[in-house]
Amino acid sequence: MVIKPIKKFGKYISLLVIFFTFLSFANCKKDSRPSLLIYSPHGTELLEVMKARFEEKYPNITVRFLDLSSQEIYDRVKLERSNVQADIWWGASAITFSRAAEEGLFEPYRPSWADKIPENSYDSQDRWYGTFQTPEVIVYNQAAVQNEEIPKDWDDLLDTKWKGRLIIRDPVRSDTMRTIFGAMILRQWHVDQKPEAGYDWLRKLDANTREYTVDGTVLLQKLARQEGVVSLWDLPDVASAINRQKLPLAFSIPSSGTPLVIDGIAIIKGTPQLKLAQDFYEFVNTEENLLIAARDFYHPPLRTDIDKTKLPEWLSKIDIKPMPLDQELYKNNIQDWMRYWDSQIRNQNNR
Amino acid sequence: MRDKSIFTLFLVIVCFVVTWGVFYPNFSILITSFQYKENWSLANYQEIISSSLILRSTWNSLYLSVLTVIGSAIIGTSMAILFHFLEFPGRKVFAALAPLPLLMPPLIGVIAFIFLYGESGILSRTVARTLALSAPPWRLNGPEAILGVHIYSFYAFFYTFVSTSLKQLDYSLLDAARSLGARPSQVFFRILLPLLRPALIGASLLTFMNSMASFSAPYLFGGGTPMLTLQIFNAKVNSQWELAMAESVILAFISIVALLLLTRNQEKTIGGSKGVSLTSRHTIENPILKTLLLFIGIIAVTIILLPPLTLLLISFAEDGKWTMEILPPSYTMANYLKVFSSQNFLEPIYNSLIMSALGAGVALLFALPASYLFTRTSFFGQKALVILTMVPWALPGTVLGISFAASFNSPKFFNAGIVLVGTFWILPILYFLRTLPLVLRSTQANLEQMDENLENASRSLGASFFYTLRKITIPLILPGAISGTALAFATAMGEFVTSVIVYVPNSRPISIEIASQLRAFHLGNAAVYGVLLTIIIAISLIIGRRLASSGSNYT
Repeated sequence: MVIKPIKKFGKYISLLVIFFTFLSFANCKKDSRPSLLIYSPHGTELLEVMKARFEEKYPNITVRFLDLSSQEIYDRVKLERSNVQADIWWGASAITFSRAAEEGLFEPYRPSWADKIPENSYDSQDRWYGTFQTPEVIVYNQAAVQNEEIPKDWDDLLDTKWKGRLIIRDPVRSDTMRTIFGAMILRQWHVDQKPEAGYDWLRKLDANTREYTVDGTVLLQKLARQEGVVSLWDLPDVASAINRQKLPLAFSIPSSGTPLVIDGIAIIKGTPQLKLAQDFYEFVNTEENLLIAARDFYHPPLRTDIDKTKLPEWLSKIDIKPMPLDQELYKNNIQDWMRYWDSQIRNQNNR
Repeated sequence: MRDKSIFTLFLVIVCFVVTWGVFYPNFSILITSFQYKENWSLANYQEIISSSLILRSTWNSLYLSVLTVIGSAIIGTSMAILFHFLEFPGRKVFAALAPLPLLMPPLIGVIAFIFLYGESGILSRTVARTLALSAPPWRLNGPEAILGVHIYSFYAFFYTFVSTSLKQLDYSLLDAARSLGARPSQVFFRILLPLLRPALIGASLLTFMNSMASFSAPYLFGGGTPMLTLQIFNAKVNSQWELAMAESVILAFISIVALLLLTRNQEKTIGGSKGVSLTSRHTIENPILKTLLLFIGIIAVTIILLPPLTLLLISFAEDGKWTMEILPPSYTMANYLKVFSSQNFLEPIYNSLIMSALGAGVALLFALPASYLFTRTSFFGQKALVILTMVPWALPGTVLGISFAASFNSPKFFNAGIVLVGTFWILPILYFLRTLPLVLRSTQANLEQMDENLENASRSLGASFFYTLRKITIPLILPGAISGTALAFATAMGEFVTSVIVYVPNSRPISIEIASQLRAFHLGNAAVYGVLLTIIIAISLIIGRRLASSGSNYT
């Protein structure tokens, strides 16, 4: 038996050498300008726009961003506490922000527009401020739901005619859905200070639900493809899917009132460039930039001093009645409620 | 004497890497699992034992993993054997396409699955409309769906391992048995399967662990089926981090028990291969059998190819247009044009290529001595080292990423002052640790199959240790090592869950790009990246195959 020497071995080595050479190139392309790192779930398109506008105003600065979900950002910021990477966290619900604030992740900052923000939409110690308010809506497939059938309020969803036609984003892992479910419990809380009435409501909703999807993208795709025809979701995503992606969907704002999720911004504690971070913080909340976010990305601004006449037409047309949410009660109980829902209500009624 | 010092050197390197990269970061998981509200406590484990939901999840994860291994073993092994022993038209094409499911790109691959087999999918609608049903006869939901997706994505481990092993079998044993009058079934069960044992054990281990730690399939297709990885995720979302860690310990524990059970009596393989590869490929003459095999082959390849083809369709479909039709109503190049015209479009591809090549390349360099230590020597603590190298594969990616990042985000005594968080290097290192078990198991399977006497003969004939290593051992195990490296590279290219925790702006991988396109509802653009990723991995697997077979050139 003869074993040929492996001629190829030299080739493997040279391949490796080539890769390492490539790598050195990869690390060469460093920008010498001071840079600002933003963590944000608002999507690359909005971020690219703001990056370009900010860099235009501050030509010596480069803005970099990581497009992550707010849960991913929370994990990261917590992990990086002793080795701070990002300067700004732009975008998460008030609940997530107050949790992070209590864990000491933020640097307090009082923006120039602080007194233009409604009560309960910012941190009393200035650790985060609200920027957008996101109404939750009922979304349906325009082709499959007749005009007279369109659900106009929360309780319409419990009608047995929707049995097997409702499709919902898995609430355990979604701030949007947790807010809606929490609101449905809090709505009936005043009766006896117990969640039972709310649980009953959620049980009936579950009975109509065909499927819980894993994320908003899959949810809206499945709605467009009529695997289900009615759902609950947030306005910016729905409006964007309708107007930008042309999905055959439409939405209605619950007539008895809908929870408004406050979306905020905060400076990460320990950022070495505090001044720059503050500049960006101010910059994305100027009237001009808030109007861009409202017009092109469907984020209704929170600032009360925005000139109403300049708001995009779609926003001034719709009538949003806010549903008051007891933030403290919600924050202290939502985990228990969701755990109960997960083990006692989910999929218990339709199989 | 000199051998000994070389072994010691190997051992020191292996010990260092394993302690620094695996033991230290993951030990914190164990510690955290015994804490509750910052005190030492068994509360987390008590909660697990008293929660019927968590117990049910554990049971579901366990039995689905066992079924996944069985299903993948049957499909992967029979495909490998079929393509190896029988010559029939189209064999080469089938053999080349068989490991393709490994390539399903993250996230968008799932969308392709939904668009194909889901309720509104191509296949479901075709069936429903042909049979004039109001709804498709199945739903891509529940334990069956998880099992299906698992087997689809994991049988490639068995296929690759068994194919590599078959190339190096000592066929004289089979021929001897046949000439002594053994029936084909006897040859199969008494000779062939025992000879393939190292490969089967390696593939079973990887499949079982991957299936236990699998998150996407239960998350996306489980339809609410409670699974352990989902409970870990839920606990984390509910800020019960200690509980999540305790659940991870249980998960890792089950995988380690499986490892110990599978490798418990590793007696020396009888009739180890001499590297003599005298494949007598049987040409099928019987026309009926020939047609039948061709038919089975075509069906298998169709099932394998449908999801990637659906991905291709999505990449050519206009976003938002394809809703009620079986196939996209119109096709467009717009998605490709948009992706190719964006100025940074090559960056994520380039980043992923470099980081995966680094991760897989270092895994190869590391696995060669490590597999030698694990199979050819025995020393105190060997089993512990074997277990530790497998841990990063057995843990859910999120847990691995977070515990690793937590251990290397500031200079500490135990991490030797090395800070990795916020640097480019953390991802290649994680890719290395995560995919090392693939290379290691593949190399080990090859090494265990080899007759040790080949090396002994070389030494007794006066060859030095290094000469033997270079001329005998390495050439013999290179096919296994290379096919394992190709698997590792493919896995790293598609890695998402760990990457999302630690990537930085200049190491943004392709999977993150896909995720962010999807979040903005740009299905088409995400699909374009998915297609590009699939092509890259396909090329790398083909190159790996070429290199592996050129490495095993014995006469």
